[in-house]
Amino acid sequence: MSVIISICLLVYVQTADDQGYTTGEWNQYERRGSDVTMQCGSLESDASVSWKVNGTDIEAQHQLNGPKLILTQVDLDHNGLYSCFQNPHGERRDTIFLHIGIPPQEPKVTCRSNTYPKGFYCSWHLTHPTYIPSSFEVDVQHNQHSLYVQKDPVHKNRCHVQFPEVFSSSPYKVNVTAVNALGKASATLSFEESAIVKPDPPERVTASPIRLNPRRLEVSWHSPATWPDIDTFPLKYFLRYRPLIHDKWQHVELLDSTSHTITDAYAGKEYIIQIAAKDTEIGTWSDWSVAVHATPWIEDPLPITTTTEVDFPNGRLKPKSITFLLIATYLLLSLIKSTGKYHF
Amino acid sequence: MDPSHNLASERSSIESTYELTKYLEYQLKEIKDVYLTYLGPPFNEKDFSPPRPNSTALTLPSAATRLELWHGLENQARLAQNQRAYSILLAAVRELARSTLCPSLKTSLLHFCTGLDGLLGSISALMNSLGYSSPAQAAAGELQFPQRGTGSNRPAPLMSQSLKVEGFWILRELQSWLWRSAKDFNRLKKRLRASSLTRHRYY
Repeated sequence: MSVIISICLLVYVQTADDQGYTTGEWNQYERRGSDVTMQCGSLESDASVSWKVNGTDIEAQHQLNGPKLILTQVDLDHNGLYSCFQNPHGERRDTIFLHIGIPPQEPKVTCRSNTYPKGFYCSWHLTHPTYIPSSFEVDVQHNQHSLYVQKDPVHKNRCHVQFPEVFSSSPYKVNVTAVNALGKASATLSFEESAIVKPDPPERVTASPIRLNPRRLEVSWHSPATWPDIDTFPLKYFLRYRPLIHDKWQHVELLDSTSHTITDAYAGKEYIIQIAAKDTEIGTWSDWSVAVHATPWIEDPLPITTTTEVDFPNGRLKPKSITFLLIATYLLLSLIKSTGKYHF
Repeated sequence: MDPSHNLASERSSIESTYELTKYLEYQLKEIKDVYLTYLGPPFNEKDFSPPRPNSTALTLPSAATRLELWHGLENQARLAQNQRAYSILLAAVRELARSTLCPSLKTSLLHFCTGLDGLLGSISALMNSLGYSSPAQAAAGELQFPQRGTGSNRPAPLMSQSLKVEGFWILRELQSWLWRSAKDFNRLKKRLRASSLTRHRYY
């Protein structure tokens, strides 16, 4: 079942004036670089009309041919509201909203299951802008059956599909067709159930020092909330950590546990820690979790209560004074020796 | 015998069976790449997947199942499904090995069959230790996979497309079963742990 994600509206409104002529208003979509002809209503070929764009005279190169306006090699600056007026009285006969764009190219499609085994989602985008509205049709096939596709309520170019079964050997085929007024283009992505499983990162990661242990850090985390059945489909984890001042990470892989004690931390150094998760059998590792910082326990420095002093006959000297005295004595002795006047 | 000793022994047995499925899964990845290269294009192309054959000649057990059915499987049924699947797949891979003319690939496939046989034995032993009856061992072990059609004993380029498709799907389904079995044994371990806690409350 395909679903049209957004709808490109073509609005045509027709009104009649006092003399019974009908005037219209519509959107006209034309390809960038092409020559464009705009027809003023249903006037005869010998009718004389004048045109305005956005209420002003047309400055771009153009030709007039009876009720037709011809623009050559149009570009985005030709976009605008074109109105035509029948001469000589100037009655407005038509209003055309000209949109210049290009047909869509093949969309880029990716699919992922972060809620295994419940389902998966696919996202897509156009790699080049089309400048005009585009809609997307999505079709998902498995074992020659079309699966129900649900539009994401928040993300524009995303849809959700439930896995009809688990442990399937048959591939899933997702076809996304981009459609606009100038054309369409499709892309098909084919994958096996196991290949697209990628959990969200672990959550609520905490790291704390352990009292009296200057080289340890206690790390704990939770499995991602989006993973629906952690008991039956357990995750394994990959923990990485390094001192802030170093570039090299250390790694630990953990099965069946949501906590770990780092025992080889450098004392006193601040650490950065991250965790990733993966289904124990299939798929790929999640992105890294938000980083947490922690420093191992440091012993509190002893408060300073006394200073080191030396007793001298005439009183007490402080350490700085002693050092100065020693240097002065040495210099004096060196001076005396160099003069040779005194022998020791 | 002490129930806790029994439980420890069962869990150890499940764990080693689990490890064996992981080992076989790893081995199969390598053999599958070589086999698909042997079959030639388009079988060795990325993302290629021919339609699964419907013929009665190829009655491969499918690992695929509805999630709620798989979730609710009783331990005996879970193990019995694994046992039946590997019995059929073992016979299929043996036949594949027999009809493969590339000597090194034949050797790899036969070696892999030894591992599969070991897995079957491990599952049967586990079923016995848990007090579950299993299909007659002799019949399961001697299950003959239907001989592949005439022309299977030919170099790959001369093999018919349908035989190549069969070979493709045998290995593909085996891959799915090994992945599923890992989950099955994990589930079994948890269910036994849960039921042993219940048992201990009443002893």
